[in-house]
Amino acid sequence: MEQFEGPFLLVDPQRCMGCHTCELACAAAHTRAGSIIGAVLARERLHRRNRVVQVDGVKLPVQCRQCQDAPCVRVCPTGATYRTETYTAVDQARCIGCRLCMMVCPFGAIHVATTTVAGQERRAAFKCDLCVNRLGGPACVAACPTQALSLRYPQQEADRASQAAARQFLRSLASQPQLGS
Amino acid sequence: MAYSDKILKKSIDPTVHQMLARAQELGLETAWDRYEAMLPECGFGELGVCCRNCNMGPCRISPFEDAGPKRGVCGATADIIVARNLIRMIAAGAAAHSDHGRDLAHTLLMTAEGKGGGYEIRDEQKLQTLAAEYNISTEGRSKEEIALDLAGAVYAEFGKQEGPIRFSRRAPRKRVDLWQKLGIDPRGVDREIVEIMHRTHIGVDNDPVNLILQGLRASIADGWGGSMIATEISDVLFGTPKPTRSLANLGVLKADEVNIIVHGHEPTLSEMIVAASRDAELLALAAKLGAKGINVVGLCCTGNEVLMRHGIPIAGNFLQQELAVITGAVEAIIVDVQCIMPALGNLTGCFHTKFISTSPKAKFPGAIHIEFHEDQAYDIAKEIVRGAVENYRWRKPGQVVIPDEKVECLVGFSTEAILAALGGSLEPLLEQIKSGAIKGLAGVVGCNNPKVQHDFGHVNLVKELIRNNVLVVTTGCNAIACAKVGLMLPEAAAQAGDGLKVVCQSLGIPPVLHMGSCVDISRILTVCAAVASALGVDISDLPVAGAAPEWMSEKAVSIGSYVVSSGIFTVLGTVPPVLGSTAVTELLTTGAKEAIGATFAVEPDPFQAAQLMISHIEDKRAALGL
Ligand code: SF4
Ligand code: SF4
Ligand code: SF4
Ligand code: SF4
Repeated sequence: MEQFEGPFLLVDPQRCMGCHTCELACAAAHTRAGSIIGAVLARERLHRRNRVVQVDGVKLPVQCRQCQDAPCVRVCPTGATYRTETYTAVDQARCIGCRLCMMVCPFGAIHVATTTVAGQERRAAFKCDLCVNRLGGPACVAACPTQALSLRYPQQEADRASQAAARQFLRSLASQPQLGS
Repeated sequence: MAYSDKILKKSIDPTVHQMLARAQELGLETAWDRYEAMLPECGFGELGVCCRNCNMGPCRISPFEDAGPKRGVCGATADIIVARNLIRMIAAGAAAHSDHGRDLAHTLLMTAEGKGGGYEIRDEQKLQTLAAEYNISTEGRSKEEIALDLAGAVYAEFGKQEGPIRFSRRAPRKRVDLWQKLGIDPRGVDREIVEIMHRTHIGVDNDPVNLILQGLRASIADGWGGSMIATEISDVLFGTPKPTRSLANLGVLKADEVNIIVHGHEPTLSEMIVAASRDAELLALAAKLGAKGINVVGLCCTGNEVLMRHGIPIAGNFLQQELAVITGAVEAIIVDVQCIMPALGNLTGCFHTKFISTSPKAKFPGAIHIEFHEDQAYDIAKEIVRGAVENYRWRKPGQVVIPDEKVECLVGFSTEAILAALGGSLEPLLEQIKSGAIKGLAGVVGCNNPKVQHDFGHVNLVKELIRNNVLVVTTGCNAIACAKVGLMLPEAAAQAGDGLKVVCQSLGIPPVLHMGSCVDISRILTVCAAVASALGVDISDLPVAGAAPEWMSEKAVSIGSYVVSSGIFTVLGTVPPVLGSTAVTELLTTGAKEAIGATFAVEPDPFQAAQLMISHIEDKRAALGL
C-alpha cells in the first residue's frame, strides 16, 4: 500500500497494565545482545526509548510521536536530530548532549543519557526510532502482553475513520426515512 | 506554616506535613517519594495474576478477553494463580507472627530455666490461668517450674503434627465444629505454613477453593496459635497491660534529652532498653554529656508493646519512621523485626543517628548490628543505650526540627483490663449491647500505606463508628493513629453517639480501646469468643465487624483471613491483589459467607466502609432479636 506519511505508535490506555514490559523490550531491542538477560550478562547498558507513566490513575506508555514538524529537529544546533521520510531520528555521533531537544519535546519523549558512541563514553540523546532496523517492527508492540500498542499508518487511520463515519451516516439515514428522499 | 497541596494530600497528620517539608528542604526522600517514582505499579501484580513459582515463567495472565495469554506455561489459570499468590501471602504473614510467638516461647523457656539475662515472670496470675488451660499442675510448684512446663507446651504447638492448637479451643464450640467440618482446624502452627508452600509449588494443588481453605487453616493457626501465644507469653513475662496514660506523636521526642527510638515488633528487646534507660550509670553519663535525660520512645508495634506496659510514649506509626529520623533529634533507632524500612540505612547516614539492628533474622544496609541474646539481655541493652547516649554529643542542634504535636492517650486495654473496667464480668457490656446503647463492637487495625492518605482512613472510619455507637477496639498502626488525634482519651466520649457516650463516661473509658500490637489482635478474638460463649452463639452471630483501612503487609492478609475465618465480617481499605480472579474475589466477598459465616469487603472510602460495618452490625442485632 502506498504510504503518504510515516507510521506512528498508537496506545490504547484502556488496555495498558503499566507492566513496563514494553520498556524492557525496547531497551533489549537496542542492545547488541538483543535480550535483557543477554545484555545484563554482557554488562551492556540498557536504554529504553519509551516510558510508562501514570496520570490520574491511568497507565500508558509515552514515546516519540514522530512529529512531522519536530521541535527537537528545529532546535538541535548540530543537526543531530533530523527527519527522514518516515520518522524523526537522532544521529548520536553528532549529538553534543546539550538537552535542548529534551526541553522542547512536548511529550518528554527524548532524553539524554550516557552511552558508548564510536567506542567512547558520551552523553547523547535517545528517542524512539520505531525500531526501523528491527525485523518484525517495533519491539514494544510485539512484547505488550495485552496488545495495548500498535503501529499505525496515518492514511490507514484516516481511511478507517472516514469509513466508520460513512457507515454511521448511512445507518442513521436508514433509520430516518424522512432524511432519505 | 502553609504547606503545598501535594504535601497536605499525603497525610492528615500535621507532623507529617512539617517533616515532609523539612525532607524537601534537605533533599531527602521518603516512602512517599519512592511510591511516586514507582508509578505506574504493574497492573498484573495489582490483580495478582503474575506467577513466579517456577522457572518456566514468570507467567502473567491478561485480564482482557481478546488479547494476551489466558494460562501460564503449566496451564495455570488466573483463578489458580491468584489463589496461590494469596495464600502465599498468608503463609508469610502467619510465619512472621508465629516466629514472633516462638521467640517469646523461647524467652519464657530461658527465663524458667534461670538463663534469661534479666527477665522474670511478672504476671503469675496469667501464668496460672494458662497452665490450667494446658492442664499443667500448679499445686505447690514454683512459678519457674510451672513456666518451664508451659514454655515446653507452647513451644510444642509450633512443630506439632496433629492438633488441636490449645488456644484455638477458646473459640466457641460452634466455631470449632465448623472448622472441623470444613477440614481447616489447624494441626500445628508450622505445619500449616509449610503445607501452603508445598501446595503452591508447581503442579500440586490447583483447585482455588482447596487452596483458599488451606490459607484459612494457616491463618487460624496464626490468630489462635502463633499470635495468641505471642500475646499471652508477653503478658506472663512483661505483665498484662493495664490502663496507662501516655503521649503520642513526633512531639514526644525531646530537644534536650538523648532520644532513643525502639522500632519493630517484639517486646523482648525493648523491655530491656526501657530498663537500661533508667540505669543510674547511663543517666549520669547522659548528664555529663549535657543531656537532661534519656528519652525512650516507640514506633510501630514494638512501640505499642512498651506503650501498653510502661506508658512509654509513641512517636508515630509505620509511615512516620523516616520522619522521626528527619527531626535530627534521634541518637539511635533500635530495631528488631518487621515493618522496618531498609531506607533507614541511607537516611540515618544523613544524620548523626545510629541505626542499630539487633535480631539475627534482620540485618539492614547501613545499620550497626548488635546482636541480641536473651541470656545477656540486660547487658546488651545497656551497651546499646550507652552507644546512643555517647552519640548525643554529635547531635547538631541547628539541624533539629521537632514538631510540637503530642497528644495524650489512655492505653492498655488488655482483655483483663477491659473486664476489670467492667467490674469483673462481661455482663455490663452485654447489657449495654442488648439495650442498644452500644450497637456493637468493631476491631479496626492495620498498617499505613502511601497509596492512601496517611491516617485518613484510620481516623475517619473510627470516628464514624463511635458516632454511631459502635465501641471500637484497635491495635497496631490504627491504634497509634487514633491516639494521635485524641480518640483514646475518656474525653473523646464526647465524639461518640449518645448511647456509647454515656457508657464511656460512666466507666471512665475512651470510646476507642487500645488493645495492643498486631499480634494482640488475638486479644480481640478472645473478647469476641468470650462474648459469643456467654450468649451461647457463634462469633459470626455477634454484632461485630473488623476493618483494616490502610493495610499493606502480608501479616495483614493473614490477620484478615483469620478474622474472617473466626466469623467476623471485615472491610479492607486498600485493594488486595485478587481482582484478577472473579472466582477468588467472589469466594472472599460472598461465597465465604455460607462456608464460614463471614466475608471480606473492599471499600477505600472510610465513611462508606463504616456504613457497611454498621449495617452488618444492625443485621446481626436483628437476627439476635435485639
Ligand atoms: S507492555 Fe503494554 S501493558 Fe505493559 S506497560 Fe507497555 S503498553 Fe502497558
Ligand atoms: S541533545 Fe543532542 S540531539 Fe538533543 S538538541 Fe542537543 S545535540 Fe541535538
Ligand atoms: S518502537 Fe521501538 S524504539 Fe520505539 S518505543 Fe517501541 S521498542 Fe522503543
Ligand atoms: S507455575 Fe505455571 S504459571 Fe507459574 S511460572 Fe510456572 S508455568 Fe508459569
